[in-house]
Amino acid sequence: MNRRTTRSRWLTAAAALTSVTLLAAGCSGGGGGDQEGGESGAPAAEGAATDRELVIWAGSQTPITANFNPYAVGVLHLANGGIYETLFAYNKLQDVDPTAMLAESFEWNGDGTELTVTLRSGVEWNDGTPFTADDVVYSFMNDSAKPSYLSEATASDESTVVFSFDAPAFANEFAILGSTYIVPKHVFSEHEKDTGEDAAGAKLEGLVAWANAENPVGTGPYMVDSTSNAAYTAKANPNYWGGEPQVASLRYVGIDANQSAEDLLTTGQIDWSTMFVPEPDRVTSSGAYGYVNTPVDPTVLYTCANVDLGCEGEQTDVAVRQALNVAIDRGAINEKAFVGLAKEISPTFALLGRDDKWIADGMPKESPQTADAAAAATILEDAGYTKDADGFYGKDGKAIDLTLTSVDGWTDYNSAAKLIEEQAKAAGIKVTASTISWNEFADARVSGEFELIMGGVVGTSIADPFQIYREWFTGDFTQKVGTALEPGEWNFSRYDNDDVNAAVQAASETNDEAAKKEAYATVQQHIVEDLPYIPLVVNASQTFFNTKAYAGWPTEEDMYMFPPSWQGPSSGVILGKLGGLE
Amino acid sequence: MKFYLRRIGFYAVTLWAAISLNFFIPRLLPGDPFTILMAKLQRSGGIPAGTENTIRLLLGAAEDQTLWEQYVTYWGNLFQGNLGVSVTNFPAPVTELIGDALPWTLGLVGTATIISFVLGIGLGALAGWKRGTWVDSLVPSTTMLQSLPYFWVALVLIFGFAVTLQWFPIIGAYDVFTFNGPEWSWAFVGSVLYHAFLPALTIVISSVGGWLLGMRNMMVSTLSEDYVTTAEAKGLRPRRVFTTYAMRNAALPSLAGFGVSLGFVVAGSLVMEQVFTYPGIGKLMITAVRNNDYALMQGVFLVITLAVLAALFLMDLIYGFLDPRTRHHD
Repeated sequence: MNRRTTRSRWLTAAAALTSVTLLAAGCSGGGGGDQEGGESGAPAAEGAATDRELVIWAGSQTPITANFNPYAVGVLHLANGGIYETLFAYNKLQDVDPTAMLAESFEWNGDGTELTVTLRSGVEWNDGTPFTADDVVYSFMNDSAKPSYLSEATASDESTVVFSFDAPAFANEFAILGSTYIVPKHVFSEHEKDTGEDAAGAKLEGLVAWANAENPVGTGPYMVDSTSNAAYTAKANPNYWGGEPQVASLRYVGIDANQSAEDLLTTGQIDWSTMFVPEPDRVTSSGAYGYVNTPVDPTVLYTCANVDLGCEGEQTDVAVRQALNVAIDRGAINEKAFVGLAKEISPTFALLGRDDKWIADGMPKESPQTADAAAAATILEDAGYTKDADGFYGKDGKAIDLTLTSVDGWTDYNSAAKLIEEQAKAAGIKVTASTISWNEFADARVSGEFELIMGGVVGTSIADPFQIYREWFTGDFTQKVGTALEPGEWNFSRYDNDDVNAAVQAASETNDEAAKKEAYATVQQHIVEDLPYIPLVVNASQTFFNTKAYAGWPTEEDMYMFPPSWQGPSSGVILGKLGGLE
Repeated sequence: MKFYLRRIGFYAVTLWAAISLNFFIPRLLPGDPFTILMAKLQRSGGIPAGTENTIRLLLGAAEDQTLWEQYVTYWGNLFQGNLGVSVTNFPAPVTELIGDALPWTLGLVGTATIISFVLGIGLGALAGWKRGTWVDSLVPSTTMLQSLPYFWVALVLIFGFAVTLQWFPIIGAYDVFTFNGPEWSWAFVGSVLYHAFLPALTIVISSVGGWLLGMRNMMVSTLSEDYVTTAEAKGLRPRRVFTTYAMRNAALPSLAGFGVSLGFVVAGSLVMEQVFTYPGIGKLMITAVRNNDYALMQGVFLVITLAVLAALFLMDLIYGFLDPRTRHHD
């Protein structure tokens, strides 16, 4: 331990020395970045230059395999945002305009079939080659990346790219501008014929077979320095368009157990990490760490809801789902299973606080927070259910008997399922909680062979619940029970309602807020009534960061980006803003 | 000679069966790698546009082949020393992953197993020799330590020595915050030893009791043998009776068990590697099973199978050599 103390003391001294000399450079460099970025919100670093290495855990486990190809499976976190950037960076937590990154502005034509993007000028790849419109076109049109809805991307001049679509594509704005990484054509086009092997030993050809492990060429604030099985390091890109980052080097470590990561946090050995810590005070009490909780991903009960597509079990009756919905004590679930860190959920799946404007008039703002057994009884009795001798409701002499599964080892979900079992019992509904392996869980939900599963919904990346409505609630995004869902299809409940399908289609064709609101009202009316997913809570997402040694982190007051260390491209934006304090 | 040929034939058949099971068992697991990988990626921060196509390409090709064709390919690749590419650690070849993990596992788990064996045999012999005295209390205390859940022992030690006192590091096989990968320097070697102490201690604590108990009981029954009484009656020094007459004979059964447990060293220590983020084979196995990473699973199981079979074979040969009865009985 002594050794570490001396080392950090030495580093402090070194940082103090270098910060004096670097201040001048920092002023001119950072100032330049400010002028270029200026209004459009380019990252402007805070704090002073520092040599103290920023240690990050982004959820990687050992062994780490060097892979910085954004098209490959297992790409490391630094690549998404730290090395490769998107045209814009969207804020997942606030209803604000996206931050301009490699582009400066964008414009849709009236019917949503053409998107014109103006690129930032003066950007260079970290190998010194200028960044051009051709790179952007390549990033969308190469075989690995080209989305099916995009018909053409063309460079109309040096700094303008026009995307054209066959159908209105307003709904794909985020996918194009906010989640497609821009790669250098002059490097990537040389690896299109790379060959490798797939999992079964068959030949694999194309960009996907390339690991991009040596000196990846990107536009982002950092460049890869070294990689090993246990960790990888990065150094600041001196020619970054937003000004050279103030933190000279980063180290991403691999950690296998959450407990180890928590221990490393409490002993001050990690500077930035996003992970579940039941007692955040244990970490923050030392005063060195800041902490934000930013819930975005809903936790729900998936119900296999649609008899027409082959679902079986009593939960296919909407009355049973409605009764369960009011029988659940969400307050108790949050307190006991999620240690009070989760947030209230809206049955409309709009994120409360961010998407409030999208909740239609007359819709309940949040799901009931307390149990109401009497209301559950009324719903069931109205639907023709009667209580049997054991106190459970049933029909035609057969009591309702549902199995609720959750993944073994996800302790918060396991205890929430147990609580639901008890709460349902109090309302006369028999639910049995059991645990399954992760593999069985993944299998059950894509095949539709389940009654109730405790599961998550992916929160939308922009202030608009549209993506959830389309991918989780429409008939286009599901399959018959027994047929596995295709990638990108998330409608595990097999819910298929013509009115909802039509309303989602209408919403996708317009950019007009009023028209969208009207379509959403229809969607919400149905999903709040039908409850194919019974909403429970919005999951906590806890991020800890070292506020003693670094400045520039997102805070409750200035949540300029979604803070998790594993999230691209926002983590890259945050890296560009950090600076040292020591 | 016939005995040895028959043993070799037996092991060849066992090897073929084990390698075939290696191929089929992973494919009986529920879930397919594609959906698992997608679900996992979604959970850890969303799937960037483009990656989806990749995964399909990467895992899709296998669907076109029948199981039989895959089995033939599997044997073909095996003979070329090609164990395939890991999906979870794409694009690292399985041979490379195992090659990187094996030295750490052998070094740490192997050393810890030897220490535990030597310690257990020594203390067990002493406890048997001085039975009925205070030394005998070693038996209940070490068996109690062994019955504690391993991960709990590890977590308690980490909390005490690594978090509260901060004498030892929390994770890694070396200081991952300083070194950019393994290197040849004294500082690195020191770091490796420093980082190995706590994991090794947990393994020894949780396994020494078994050796000790077995050895102590064998010692007690050996001491009641006639030749020990004869040796004592002849007036030999107690030390000589203890080492040459009693301990040597009592240790034989334990030695056989030791051979087998050396074979299992290759499997690593699943929980230890997880708790200490130690880069070993056990860790690879968990990752592979969790993600239905067939290639990696096959590779790891193959190495473990080979090591265990080799250890058993060796023990068989040694036993045939030491004890003629096993050779001529059949």
